[in-house]
Amino acid sequence: MISTYLIHIAIIIVIFAILAASLNLSLGYTGMINLGHIAFYGIGAYSSAILTIRHDFAFIPAIICGGLIASVFGWFLTVITSRLKGDYFALGTLGFAFVAYAVFLNWTSLTRGPLGIPGIPRPEIFGYVVRSTSDYLTFSLIVAAIVITFLWLLTRSRYGKLLEATRDDAVGLQMLGKNIFRLKYQSMMVAAFCAAIAGSLYGHYISFIDPSTFYLNDIVILLTIAIVGGLASLRGSIAAAIIIILLPEMLRFVNMPPSMIGPMRQILYALLLILILMFRPRGLFGKVDLE
Amino acid sequence: MIFNQLLINGIIAGSIYALVASGFSLIYSATRFVHFAHGAIAATGAYFVYTFFSMFGLNFYLSSFLAIICTALVGVFFFAIIYRPLQKKKSSNAILLIAGLGIMILVENLLLLMYGADVKTLNFIEVAQGKEIFGAIITPLQMFIVLISVILLVVLQLFVKKTKFGKKMLAVADNPELADITGINAKQIQYAGFAIGSALAGVAGILIGLEQNIEPVMGTQLIVKGFTGAVIGGASSLPGSILGSYLLGLTENFGIWWLPSGYKDAIAFVLLLIFLLVRPQGILGINKGVRQ
Repeated sequence: MISTYLIHIAIIIVIFAILAASLNLSLGYTGMINLGHIAFYGIGAYSSAILTIRHDFAFIPAIICGGLIASVFGWFLTVITSRLKGDYFALGTLGFAFVAYAVFLNWTSLTRGPLGIPGIPRPEIFGYVVRSTSDYLTFSLIVAAIVITFLWLLTRSRYGKLLEATRDDAVGLQMLGKNIFRLKYQSMMVAAFCAAIAGSLYGHYISFIDPSTFYLNDIVILLTIAIVGGLASLRGSIAAAIIIILLPEMLRFVNMPPSMIGPMRQILYALLLILILMFRPRGLFGKVDLE
Repeated sequence: MIFNQLLINGIIAGSIYALVASGFSLIYSATRFVHFAHGAIAATGAYFVYTFFSMFGLNFYLSSFLAIICTALVGVFFFAIIYRPLQKKKSSNAILLIAGLGIMILVENLLLLMYGADVKTLNFIEVAQGKEIFGAIITPLQMFIVLISVILLVVLQLFVKKTKFGKKMLAVADNPELADITGINAKQIQYAGFAIGSALAGVAGILIGLEQNIEPVMGTQLIVKGFTGAVIGGASSLPGSILGSYLLGLTENFGIWWLPSGYKDAIAFVLLLIFLLVRPQGILGINKGVRQ
């Protein structure tokens, strides 16, 4: 019993590690205060769920299509917010998450609205079905390793330095003849693609998705992980995902009515987010400040 | 007929948004950051009046008065313990925004913990038969809501334009550095902005409590509307944010002619994005809506 529970927590940690690492690409490395990242996660989850259930896609094409759809929205989001800076950019992206949530909730012919989509099949890869939760943990660890290694290589590459230069000195980079806008939307698209993969992993694991998973509460969890871990640090994102997901699990062992656990969790996250902003805005391994 | 009904619904919605937006705008003018927890503060106003009126059984007007004061104190409290230290550390506006998001979630869940997730109602004014005006139905309560909002907005406008203190607020909103040089105490103005702005949010919360349900998550919707109203009108301009709020109320209500009503929030954000793209300073703002 305990082991099933631990495996479940581990899978959620892995999913949030992917999500936070991908957010760090746009938020930390490229310096775009993106509060709407959860929307890409949702788009990925919904796309691959709908594609596998209604259109008989295999798992791998579905997850890739989900990523591509999210990327297109990432490009779109960068285009519509291109003139905004600082907190207004942040609000624009937050607005994108609200609009995405409203669409998940109201486009009932596609998403079944508040009823959610049940019966999302477990992934099948070359005839092998990842059925048990322990197998799913291995599977998501492999996916996470691929995604995070890719992000790590990307951020260490020459291209990664260009992204960081976009954050630190956009004008200087423009003088060198680089297209800032292109770097920004590329970064957002890659981040969106990875977030969508995390979303698909979530959907195919829980086998049920509904709009409430992709809303404010999870935005706060995700931001807490990214900021506690530190900007421009993938190591930080992974460490923080472990800490932040495990922390409220301790509430389960406190004698407390179950209806209180949800709000207590969120209060804990909100306090943590506020305190880290006040006392250690660079987080655990952060290299840059949040501008 | 349906046109008139939507018009009236738009005006009622706009009145409440205008209260939230003008409080938001006042705070924004005084402090120059986006107080994202403003809607959650309005929600505490609704819960305070519920506590005093429905739980303690006090007189409604006394309850409202106490609730407004408590709401103002809550606003000032969060400013003093969270925003102000962050400002002193020269945190960027994005950090203050994220902190505001944190406060919003914190307040929402505290309310959830204390009062439970079920919706509360005040039942102060009986739901009366609506009157028909030009073929549209409006209840006495709704007329009361519009009336109170309009009176408060006019008083607020007079306060800002005519009193010395109000003029100081305008000066800080217009040019913080210059105001500082002329010896205006910016800290005092910021606290006053938070107190008055939060009190207005409290009134909005109470009015919503009278007409609709009180629930912990109502703050999110309110800040989305209030913020949108303020920005499309011009965030640092009080008349602008009021105008923007009515515009938003009308757009939303006419929008659901074509779209499911669940898209109401999305309509607000689409309108906001359009304005941020085309006219970021808002309708009445003078290039002050967006810094830089």
